[in-house]
Amino acid sequence: MFNRETWIEIAHTVTANPLRTALTGLSVGLGIFILVVMQGLGFGLQNGVEQDFGDEARNTVWVRTGRTTLPYRGRQPNRYVQMRNEDEQRITEQVVDAPAWSGRRMMWGSTVGYKNEQGNYPIVGVEPDFDELELLPLKGGRWLHADDLAKESKVCVVGENLLDELFKQDEAIGAFITLRGITFRVVGHFSKNGRWGNSMVYVPLTTMQRVFNGSDEVDQMVLSTGDLDLEGSQAMVEAVDGDLRMRHSVHPDDVRAVRVRDNQEEYAMFERVFTGIRLFIWVIGGFTLLAGAIGVANIMAIVVKERTVEIGVRKALGATSGSILSLIVIEAIALTLISGALGLIAGVATLNAVAPYAEHDYFADPEVNLRVTVTALAVLVVAGAISGFVPALRAVRIRPIEALRYE
Amino acid sequence: MLALRGIEKSYPLAGGSLPVLKGIDLNIVQGEMVAIMGSSGSGKSTLLNVLGLLDGFDSGGYDLDGVDMAGLSEKQAARYRSQFLGFVFQSFNLISFKTALENVALPLFYQKVPRRERQKRAMEMLGKMGMDDRADHLPSELSGGQKQRVAIARALITSPRVILADEPTGALDSTTSSEVMEVLREVNASGITVIIVTHEADIAAQCDRTIRLHDGVIIEDGKSGEVVEPTARGARSQD
Ligand SMILES: Nc1ncnc2c1ncn2[C@@H]1O[C@H](COP(=O)(O)OP(=O)(O)OP(=O)(O)O)[C@@H](O)[C@H]1O
Ligand SMILES: [Mg+2]
Repeated sequence: MFNRETWIEIAHTVTANPLRTALTGLSVGLGIFILVVMQGLGFGLQNGVEQDFGDEARNTVWVRTGRTTLPYRGRQPNRYVQMRNEDEQRITEQVVDAPAWSGRRMMWGSTVGYKNEQGNYPIVGVEPDFDELELLPLKGGRWLHADDLAKESKVCVVGENLLDELFKQDEAIGAFITLRGITFRVVGHFSKNGRWGNSMVYVPLTTMQRVFNGSDEVDQMVLSTGDLDLEGSQAMVEAVDGDLRMRHSVHPDDVRAVRVRDNQEEYAMFERVFTGIRLFIWVIGGFTLLAGAIGVANIMAIVVKERTVEIGVRKALGATSGSILSLIVIEAIALTLISGALGLIAGVATLNAVAPYAEHDYFADPEVNLRVTVTALAVLVVAGAISGFVPALRAVRIRPIEALRYE
Repeated sequence: MLALRGIEKSYPLAGGSLPVLKGIDLNIVQGEMVAIMGSSGSGKSTLLNVLGLLDGFDSGGYDLDGVDMAGLSEKQAARYRSQFLGFVFQSFNLISFKTALENVALPLFYQKVPRRERQKRAMEMLGKMGMDDRADHLPSELSGGQKQRVAIARALITSPRVILADEPTGALDSTTSSEVMEVLREVNASGITVIIVTHEADIAAQCDRTIRLHDGVIIEDGKSGEVVEPTARGARSQD
């Protein structure tokens, strides 16, 4: 059945009917192509969002403040709500029971110098727990210690961009650099995903408060929710939010002045969105497959009809029903398989071609789900085989003379 | 070689059935060249198709080479068609997307002859038909007479014992017709039984024996010269 002769016969009929070969190929190939591209894009979207979250541990609550937008308790709007060390202390000691936390303060565009090199980088003041809250994979040296904060040491941990841009070949650990004109010693360096992350210079929050602006201001606060579930983390959010609003006289409805964001909740929301997207892709993919299968079935039905007289002739020349059946079925399988494979290749090629242009915060590394694609291809091939088999069976069952007379 | 005993066949029609063969008794021996004549609708093609195992029959008996053909399985019928019988049709029935050579070689494919051998024998057969220079042509690139030569070559390629031809010259002009008849006579001269359905008296006249059908029964059967009557000549002039 699968001998060379059969394949020569098939190659012949396939090339002899270019239009229908093209049509079958298109309906199957396009189906697989669409499926591959959609799966890939969906995957890329999910990848992107997950990478974005990858920076921050999922079980964290971020606390930010801003200007008030509503008058409250006799205070005018447009007042900046500034958190201070005392807020952080009160919240972590009295309001919530967080296993880890850190205040955070950022100074954008700070001049950083090393020997004759210099550049602009953000300096971030944090506390020792911070590397648990925002994942900073250490590549050398050490992270900031509690001791550094207590002593207000002038030490820093730098992102890998500084290694490339300032230190070049030099060893960074132990080197001295100037941050806004003040000398710090580099004690560690890290590398993480994302564009901004690797340009950061982390210093002890206490050091920053003392040497750069002599204040007790904290810009943001990050709290770990430990292994609390969504309900627990939500309770934590509410406690922190309520405390800050009370202390700083912020209207309960003022969404700008106090913003407490729960990563866990946000991630759960993205999860729901992705479940939706995945479902959508499945539905679209299912319909695409169905359309492809119907297309193949239609074309095969027409093909067999068109070839009824030929079937009669072949029978008159001594062909058995089995040989004609296997010819048509193998032909259908070969056609769907080859065009499906072409669709797959085209889909992967398209994804690969598009990927570099589609780099975005919420999009990364579109990938082909091979299992899904191969399943889809198998479904189409089976559909092709059946849709060749059924009309062919009907055609070979009639007496040869009826096939010969067919119009 | 071929023996029919009381063959009856009718086609189912809406509200009844149409009897087409009403008890045919016929014996054809190896090496005969037989013409089947008769007016349109008399059942000539039906008879030939029964002889060629392309169609079944309702009752009666059919022995081919001493074997009863009644109740033959589809697979066995295919084997007999492959080994014993060759067909030539009025409308040639060449496979349009295959070249002359491939058309001629096709029956050997169903006899599982290796490709090289198939090509060689098909080329030889085309040569005998004077068609070897057209081997690579598609049927659409051939004239009617050329197509029929290819069809005859295809029918002969398996060295069948019987050639069945339904109006083989029906689509050809008279010069081409006589060329095709010449070929068929040569085929017959090599010992192959040839059975031709025709309307034309001068075609029948080139056969050894003529059978005349009328309304599903054989009304005349004899040496060609004796059977062909003026009515048949009249029928021909109307073509
Ligand atoms: N498939 C069919 N279904 C129903 N009736 C049929 C079928 N084939 C043939 N007939 C009828 O059977 C009768 C004999 O047909 P057949 O084709 O054998 O005639 P014929 O002698 O070959 O005629 P012609 O010279 O026109 O070819 C005709 O009346 C025809 O209408
Ligand atoms: Mg006829």
